[in-house]
Amino acid sequence: MASISLRSLVRPSLPVAPRIQPIIIAAFSTTSLVSAAAPPAIKNRKDLPKKTKKTYKKKQNIVPVKKPAPGERKAFRKRIQLSNNSALPVAGLDALEAQTMARPESSGRMFAVPDEVVDQLRALEAFKSTQTWNLFRKPHVLVRKETVELMGRLEASLEKKEAFKCVLTGSRLSGKSLMLLQAMSYALLNEWVVIHIPEGQDLTNGNTEYSPVPDTEPMQFTQPVYCLKLLQNIYKANRAVLEKTPLKQDWSRLSATLKPGSTLADLALSAKESEFAWPTLSALWTELTQPGQPPVLLTLDGLAHINKVSAYRDPAFNPVHAHELLLVRTFVDALSGKTKLPNGGAVIAATSQNNTHFHPSQELALSQLEAGQAGKPVPKPDPYERKYDDRVYDALKNSTVMRLEGVSKEEARVLMEYWGASGMLRSVLDSRVVAEKWALGGHGIVGEMERASLITMRM
Amino acid sequence: MATIATGLRHAKCAGSIAAAQWRTAVLPRSTFSLAIRSITSDSQKTTPPNLEVEVAASVPIPYQGVTHARVVPATPSYFSREPQFNDLYIGISKLLTKYNHLPTVPPSEAPQMPWTKLEEMRAQMGEPIKASHYAKVMRVAKRLNLIEPSLRPQEVKVALTEFTRDINPFLNMPNPITIDKFGRAVGVGKRKESTARAFVVEGTGEILVNGKTLSEAFGRVHDRESAVWALTATQRLDKYNVWALVEGGGTTGQAEAITLAVAKALVAHEPALKTALRRAGCITRDPRTVERKKHGHVKARKMPAWVKR
Repeated sequence: MASISLRSLVRPSLPVAPRIQPIIIAAFSTTSLVSAAAPPAIKNRKDLPKKTKKTYKKKQNIVPVKKPAPGERKAFRKRIQLSNNSALPVAGLDALEAQTMARPESSGRMFAVPDEVVDQLRALEAFKSTQTWNLFRKPHVLVRKETVELMGRLEASLEKKEAFKCVLTGSRLSGKSLMLLQAMSYALLNEWVVIHIPEGQDLTNGNTEYSPVPDTEPMQFTQPVYCLKLLQNIYKANRAVLEKTPLKQDWSRLSATLKPGSTLADLALSAKESEFAWPTLSALWTELTQPGQPPVLLTLDGLAHINKVSAYRDPAFNPVHAHELLLVRTFVDALSGKTKLPNGGAVIAATSQNNTHFHPSQELALSQLEAGQAGKPVPKPDPYERKYDDRVYDALKNSTVMRLEGVSKEEARVLMEYWGASGMLRSVLDSRVVAEKWALGGHGIVGEMERASLITMRM
Repeated sequence: MATIATGLRHAKCAGSIAAAQWRTAVLPRSTFSLAIRSITSDSQKTTPPNLEVEVAASVPIPYQGVTHARVVPATPSYFSREPQFNDLYIGISKLLTKYNHLPTVPPSEAPQMPWTKLEEMRAQMGEPIKASHYAKVMRVAKRLNLIEPSLRPQEVKVALTEFTRDINPFLNMPNPITIDKFGRAVGVGKRKESTARAFVVEGTGEILVNGKTLSEAFGRVHDRESAVWALTATQRLDKYNVWALVEGGGTTGQAEAITLAVAKALVAHEPALKTALRRAGCITRDPRTVERKKHGHVKARKMPAWVKR
């Protein structure tokens, strides 16, 4: 009885060992086969030809359509198009130069982004598919009042030999990511080394591989594949600077190619496999934080995602706080001032309003910092909130909060004149139209103004 | 219990029993009183007992001072079907012939009168007035109303009150919106379930809805545009600031309620814009609301699916 029940439990679909099939060799014959096969012999009623119902339905005319290959649709959705030949070229606008954005007189003017900087920014993934670059012939940026202020701070950090730590915040579509892009182009034009993490979410949502670092308590993790990609991006964007900066320390234990005279570019290129990505990246970061190296700009978009408990689990299946991921920790240490930047430079994080979650401790920390800067009474934590995270407060407490809201009407006018010159605005541009779009865009929120005036152009 | 009910059954109809069983007149006739001339003008009889002459003299001579053999009615309309109404017509026609020469004003400038409606006049007089007759009379009354108001005789004014209602609905006007000492005009607008109050001041084109900017208050660009449509259509968007409070309903309703509120407040600032705003559709309240659900229906109109038994 037991044997029967056991046999019934065996899965019939288990793979069977391949048997050697006997090869049946056809008999040698020179006569050809009978061309028409004989009909099957009828042995019982089942073999009789069955009646088929005649259908009067029209056959659908199926045209063979080639379906897009896997990933093609997503690639189309996420593509970054930075020029549009249908748009009119705008003449008479200067290109950005090293100190342009830091000068107060360039406030409220449009500038073209130079082509080589565009390539570098593209390598850094600074452009986003949600921005409207694809409507214009060439990337141009508006230098706002806040831009001049931020670039002034960046410039001052060089003299003080101290990092400028900043969090960009503000309402939705107000241009925080674009401000990051402007800071990056400023840094690239001034030959800084730029490291940009385009989306904080990518680090913590568990979509990239992670591996624990041995002998750490609490356990820390690296993200090898992401780090390798980041290294390659850093190399592509900052190649010129990295190639003329020699190493200060001996990193020959990482790669045999690294000799005492090699440069930072060699170091960045030495990681060919993802296992070596994190050691190389941390070596690069160590080199960049040595005195005498070029200044560094470290930026990140989507701050709320790196201040939460990540989607990763440790071997005991406990959730891992994002600050235990070494790449995130590197950024957070720089933002909190734990890692000094002796050559000057900046650490800028931007919050996101579209892709975010409610984060009480970050909200509180930012509002407290902002109130402190403005000299207003500092808001108190909500006594009924349990989810405050001290690590977030420690990460943010030393930074400056810069709030971005709408542009002024003069700036809006400059921007709309650029749109008009590119052939995007059909109506006559006068102060009334500017005031209308400014009001429809929620008092000059740039993205909302774009929605209100260029919405028909968006694909 | 049953006995009480049967006992009370009689009481149920008590009112109908107590009421008059015959048909009563609709209204007491106020102005109409029959003035019937009596044949004998004096009724006191003095009979002196003694003198024959006196007796002879005292015998009343019949038909003295009487011109008509029969009683003559007080009004020529006595034998008509609607005597009061006919009297009115005669009186008003006489007035028109009398004052035909007075100067008139065009109908648009004549004072607005709450004319009595046909039904109302029938009820007042209790007479079966024909619609065509009514129209004829009203034409005369309206012609009299055209007489230049400063030259209008008292007679005409009194006569015309007979043709007007007691309540003048044209006096029932909304309070005009005033601009307060801070320069604000408050307008109220409604659409569907939403109610909006808009405080409009002269300014630079800043708009706050419930303390939020337009882009925060309305996700759809269309809703934002319709909220400020009163200002856009009159090209006043950069001349005024709006601070609006809106509640109830959905986004579309709220946006369009704000349109009406802003338009009303804007008219308080610039009354000349009213026609432009009316043409832009910002003055008339949209009366459409959700249709009520009916029994037997799934929604207002939708019927349940047909099921075979």
